[in-house]
Amino acid sequence: MIHVTIFLPLVFGVLALLRPTGARALGLLGAAVTLVLGLFGYAAFLDGASAAYSAPLLAEAGVYYAVAWDGVGAVLMLAVVITTFLALLAARDVPPAMVGLTLMMESGLIGLLAAQDLVLFYVFFEATLIPSLLMLGLFGGAGRIRALVKFAIFTLVGSLLMLAGILALRYLGGAPSFLLADLADHPLGGVAGRWAFAAFLLAFMVKTPLFPLHVWLPDFHAENHPSGLADAMGTLYKVGLFGLFRWTLPLFPEAFALFQPWLLALAALTALGAAWTAYAQTDWKRLLAYGALSHMGVGALGLFSGTPEGAVGAIYLLAASGVYTGGLFLFAGGLHRRFGTLDLRPTSGLAKSAPGLAALGLILVLAMVGLPGLSGFPGEFMNLLGVWQASPVWTFVGFLAVIAAAAYALGAYQQIFHNAPDKPAPDLDAVEWQWGALAVLTVVFMGVYPKLFTGPLLTAAETLVAAMGGGR
Amino acid sequence: MTALLILFMTVLATTFAGFFAPARTTKALTLLGLVAAGVGLALDWGTTFQAFEGLYLLDPFAQGFTLVMIVGGVLALLADCDVHERRGWPPFEYYALVAFAVLGGHVMAATLHLGVVIVGLEVLSIPLYALAASRRDELGYEASLKYFLLGAVAAAIFLYGLALYFGATGGFVLGVAGEGLIYSAAVMMLLAGLAFKTALVPFHWWTPDVYQGSPTPVTLFMATAVKAAAFAAFARVLASVGLGGPVFYALAALVLLTVFWGNLAAMVQGEAKRMLAYSSVAHAGYIAVALFGPNPGPAMGYYLLAYALSTGLAFAVLTQLDEGRGVRLGELAGLWSRSPLLGLGWTVALLSLAGLPPLVGFWGKYLVFLEAARGGQYLLVALALFAAVIAAYYYLKLLAAALFARAEKAAKVTLSGSTPVGIALATLLVVLLGVLPGLGYGLFTAAAALPK
Repeated sequence: MIHVTIFLPLVFGVLALLRPTGARALGLLGAAVTLVLGLFGYAAFLDGASAAYSAPLLAEAGVYYAVAWDGVGAVLMLAVVITTFLALLAARDVPPAMVGLTLMMESGLIGLLAAQDLVLFYVFFEATLIPSLLMLGLFGGAGRIRALVKFAIFTLVGSLLMLAGILALRYLGGAPSFLLADLADHPLGGVAGRWAFAAFLLAFMVKTPLFPLHVWLPDFHAENHPSGLADAMGTLYKVGLFGLFRWTLPLFPEAFALFQPWLLALAALTALGAAWTAYAQTDWKRLLAYGALSHMGVGALGLFSGTPEGAVGAIYLLAASGVYTGGLFLFAGGLHRRFGTLDLRPTSGLAKSAPGLAALGLILVLAMVGLPGLSGFPGEFMNLLGVWQASPVWTFVGFLAVIAAAAYALGAYQQIFHNAPDKPAPDLDAVEWQWGALAVLTVVFMGVYPKLFTGPLLTAAETLVAAMGGGR
Repeated sequence: MTALLILFMTVLATTFAGFFAPARTTKALTLLGLVAAGVGLALDWGTTFQAFEGLYLLDPFAQGFTLVMIVGGVLALLADCDVHERRGWPPFEYYALVAFAVLGGHVMAATLHLGVVIVGLEVLSIPLYALAASRRDELGYEASLKYFLLGAVAAAIFLYGLALYFGATGGFVLGVAGEGLIYSAAVMMLLAGLAFKTALVPFHWWTPDVYQGSPTPVTLFMATAVKAAAFAAFARVLASVGLGGPVFYALAALVLLTVFWGNLAAMVQGEAKRMLAYSSVAHAGYIAVALFGPNPGPAMGYYLLAYALSTGLAFAVLTQLDEGRGVRLGELAGLWSRSPLLGLGWTVALLSLAGLPPLVGFWGKYLVFLEAARGGQYLLVALALFAAVIAAYYYLKLLAAALFARAEKAAKVTLSGSTPVGIALATLLVVLLGVLPGLGYGLFTAAAALPK
């Protein structure tokens, strides 16, 4: 079943590309089936079935098609299948080819979360780049080529050097294959370990993203198709924290200990700097890009703290952010459909004519702000709890970033919905009610019952911290 | 031996068939001959066969490289298109000459005797000089003359090295250990002579002009089959002398110069054929990266196959657009709407050349770098991978020119004859071998270590 979950979206994606007239129906069907499969997969995983499977892909070179669900992969997989379905439901006036590319991306994302072989992970990680680039290049705005080149070059500088790191890790560390279990038994230390760690770090810092490797992000979002579909998928594609959690920290414990203070500083700087920048934005997508960046900084703080709480918080925040940031991008797409612009300024006083829209926006924004009871809170709380144990100073900076979120996110909300003069617009229509309700349900559920997800995450995080030699 | 005989018969048959039958028949005959030679190889796959007192040595290594040459030849034949045919190109000699060149390449790969290598090299090269000029226009003449002059110099250097090799070891057969200044000089000259044909920087100067000036299917053939043949001989020479001392540094310098210069120079080109010419130079560097490993044969063979399919596909697409003056980047605009098959082929080919999974080009890169990592050359691997980022930039540029730019005039391109078959087949293989890399690599792992 895990194979079906991984490859079904790809099949539907190719079908949707071949049949442009029925693309939306095919896309929704594919995403819905995948969503159901994902939910069943998670339920089975909670019952103790990891669905592990392994077959040689390139046996002579030690590469396996090895997939399985563990706590981290399964939770993030849920975020992927839910958000993809939401996105395809919400973005109804996109070119048909975009639907196909979205499903292809979903396949790649689920695959990279399930991969238990480092090379297989790399293949999925890079393969996801192709539909992402095509979406930006084919359907982006006027400056798309510039944004595309920036995005591609940043990603490739990171990932190609990581490939060198992958090879060094195996041959210098002496592992018999690229399987996670084998690699974890042969962590790489010393000078070589530091270089290889730096290569991995570079790749995942680009994809987290962390300052100063984040510069591709605002352009990527600003130039993508205004429907928000590509942005939601792009948000899911920011798997840097996941890559660090599963493929970097446990394999280079020695190098991480050496780099830890610097990494904490970078993460804190990202969190605060991005929040500051977000406050100055007047464009929805840029604001969301910087806001999400700030949250990733908070997540990275938690992960780099080297504590189980911090690590759980990082992944939980990543999963939650996939849903609420993705939802906000789609929400911005809805505003664009109404007003033909993503600028914050000309739209105001919407709450009077479109109260449903205002409520949906408010809930998503509050989830981003980290209001207790919504999905952003548990992750942020655990992150800061973890950082506190490592460094109270950086915790303070992290707090500032979280507080700043209230300023920029609520500020934007107020600008659109409550400032006078009124600018009437139609309220939520049927489709928007559907995806809005689903998004709110997810956000609330993740906020009030995080235990369903943090249980498995904690097991994984404790294994991670044990592999890192107890952190610090 | 079957393969050699079939190739030889093909050469004879196609040379004369053209006088009695239309060019189309010659084309069918050549294709048939190449495929039959491939089948001949497959029948004895993985075994070693010697003839003529060891002058002809068909080991798994030679089989793998010959397969790549056959793939290149078949693609070149399938891609020659009606756009040109309407203007009386290609003549029937084109097919016979391609068959000659494959035969020459096969001979080059299947021997340890340097004298036989030079025979193969000439049988390979002379048809190419003619092929480059076969369109009978200024650009083609210029390309042909440049190729001929520089190729002759390269052959002369190789011959001089051969003479010195005889002086140092008393024989022409590779694998005799030698020492001293004369031996070192001989090895360096042999490698330099072959580096011309493989187009390693700084021996690559002919490549952009010749690739740009030749008819595009000929360029396709040069970029695939010829490179495979040259690398077969290069790897054999290197395997016999070992990677000690000056040879190591010379090769490292060649590789790094090639990957960086090839990719940097490609970035600034405004014409697609020339860009791909520099890209082929850079790929030569990547192939040579595998030479630092303990057993480079399989990785090199696989990379060459991956590269031949991808770059062959790219040139096959360009063939359909080239009106004889090359293809400016702006002329690529709207390719997808002009012909979806060309658009798909172009996208797949470029992403594969850029080394993105899950396409075959990624596994080629992965395997050569794995080989170098086995040899402990991590710094080299990291630097060469860094150069691959530069490469990604111009492949994206080519892709963006074709796909993302809005087209002003979008005249439909109609494909006919064998062209759609060739392009569809290559596209399918690039994807299929990318998804199931074991399928292609299995062919080459049959190849044992190169005989020292």
